[in-house]
Amino acid sequence: MRRTARLLTGTALAVAAAGFVAAPAYADEGDGSLEVFPSQAVPGTQITVNTAVCGPEGTAKGDAGAVGAGTFTLAPSTHEGEAIGQFRVPPSAQPGTYEIVANCADGGRQVSGDLVVTLSAARGQEPRGSVKTGVGGALGPDPVQTAAGVAALAVAAAGGTWLLHRRARGDGI
Amino acid sequence: MHRVSNAAIGTVTVVALCSGAWLLGGGAGTHTPPQPSAAQAARTGRGGEPRGAPALPPSPPDRIRIPSIRVNAPLMGLALTPSGSLDVPPAAKKNLAGWYEAGTTPGEKGTAVVAGHVDNADGPAVFYDLGALKKGSRIEVDRRDGSVAVFTVDAVSVYDAEHFPDEKVYGPADRPELRVITCGGGYSRSTGYQGNVVVFAHLTGSR
Repeated sequence: MRRTARLLTGTALAVAAAGFVAAPAYADEGDGSLEVFPSQAVPGTQITVNTAVCGPEGTAKGDAGAVGAGTFTLAPSTHEGEAIGQFRVPPSAQPGTYEIVANCADGGRQVSGDLVVTLSAARGQEPRGSVKTGVGGALGPDPVQTAAGVAALAVAAAGGTWLLHRRARGDGI
Repeated sequence: MHRVSNAAIGTVTVVALCSGAWLLGGGAGTHTPPQPSAAQAARTGRGGEPRGAPALPPSPPDRIRIPSIRVNAPLMGLALTPSGSLDVPPAAKKNLAGWYEAGTTPGEKGTAVVAGHVDNADGPAVFYDLGALKKGSRIEVDRRDGSVAVFTVDAVSVYDAEHFPDEKVYGPADRPELRVITCGGGYSRSTGYQGNVVVFAHLTGSR
């Protein structure tokens, strides 16, 4: 019963976790849902863009002409049924914010996202110190050991009862 | 009927009582997450490492797999806490790991950081067996651009939170490297785990 409950809980959590990860984790400042990664880059960087708008089998034509990288193709991928494409920021690109556009091959839907070009790398600071990744919930007695202990005590109780019973009958100890 | 002697019953009773008490009292030890041996520790001197595989372009990771300890978990983006330490995934989701989103992506040149829980209030979590990894073990990261970055473990170490080697764990690298972090070291009821198990790996292939 408890095991079933735990399995169900585990399944629910897994589904919840999958949903959580599927949600776009990146700031998407454009008017559509084109994820641009990294969204901030120095000239020469390879950029990956992806969108789910074109459907699981959909391809799209990408346009990074704004930043001088021309057109590129977004092809279906194994990631959440999204179309993915890549281009490289030209070494000559100037700092600024550029709109990257993708047009679905079928249906003509257009999505866009922003790419910020900077001259110095804007990676976040490095983390510091240890990471709080446990509470000790896995510690404690082994369940098998606990069961063995309970069984041994049951045997002891039965033995004791038997002896007391004989004594009460006057069998002598 | 052959009569069982009182002495026999008495002996069995006493032995059962003692062993039951010992077992329930935790006499055989508790089960704790595996910890790496000294032989798996990182070398103190740096430099002279193999170059490994060529760096991949940046692409966010979606999933981490460590076949030898049966890890196969989705990755979420992690930020920093106000104190500057790496944040962690929600403890309730026991098969979820995270990566430091503002840092290097796994496969790219530099040091990418992945963290996950060793346990939560209900029991073991995604990186419970991380301390059992050995040098040479394989770690695979699925990336959003469709590629898979394959890393090989160089070392598995335990560091005390009081003397955490930030530079060694998080510092820049001139080849694609990966750190996988979970809780470890000693445990006390008042302060929890005393440090972290840190796996050091570098990129050795992709597909």
